[in-house]
Amino acid sequence: MSKHEIRLRRQKITARGTERFRNYGAVLERHEKEKRIRKILRVFTLLFIILSVAMLIIIVIRMERKAEKKADSTYIVQTHLPQSA
Amino acid sequence: MTEEEILKEQEIVERSKRNSRDFAELYEKYFDRIYYYLLRQTDDEEIAGDLCSQTFVNALNHLGKYEFRGLPFSAWLYKIASNEVNKYYRKKKGKKIFSIEEIKVRELVERSNTDGQQDWDEEIILRLITYLKDLPIDMLHVLQLRYFEDKDFREIAFILEMTESGAKMRTYRALDMLRKNFNIKVKYHE
Repeated sequence: MSKHEIRLRRQKITARGTERFRNYGAVLERHEKEKRIRKILRVFTLLFIILSVAMLIIIVIRMERKAEKKADSTYIVQTHLPQSA
Repeated sequence: MTEEEILKEQEIVERSKRNSRDFAELYEKYFDRIYYYLLRQTDDEEIAGDLCSQTFVNALNHLGKYEFRGLPFSAWLYKIASNEVNKYYRKKKGKKIFSIEEIKVRELVERSNTDGQQDWDEEIILRLITYLKDLPIDMLHVLQLRYFEDKDFREIAFILEMTESGAKMRTYRALDMLRKNFNIKVKYHE
């Protein structure tokens, strides 16, 4: 079975048929709207990236501080093994 | 289209990149052609109208990325329209429709029938439709652009994202099959 269908159009398509769809004003309006949405999305994406990087930096700094604190509170206790006779 | 006309059109494109209102000139020039191209691929006026609007909105949205390659601007619009149709059929998951005007088929047949071996009556037109139905879809696309949209091979290659020789080869194969099926001489014009 073929994946397409061929239909024979008996009447010639006339230019009149296109008039009701021809509207550059509407196309321009949609374009402006989509442009605005894309701009907003771009700003949000940028903000999201900046926030993610900032969060990552904060997490790394906190982890480093924690590691430093842990190192400060660690004591080295020297032990001597009893000497054998 | 002459080279001068193509360059003049490119000037409008450059102006439109700076001011979207200038694009109206290209919209008016190509609206009918793109609409009929879409109508031939959907056989539905409403869908063709919607897809046509979407084609021009997409063209405006991506005009900044348009690169001039020495082809008429319409080739880019056809490419966008073709993508829109493919998207529509992927979403719909239905059979792809090719709606062909009888008068165009007759023109093609008359153009092909150079030696008057056969009289082209209704039955042969129906046979031709059956033949087109059995053709692989990519061959049909090339034939449609070549004979129903009057595109040259460079434009076809650009629209369907293939090489120029690939477009020629597909047309040649399709016409060769037509020749064998209908026992006629077909002009293969470049």
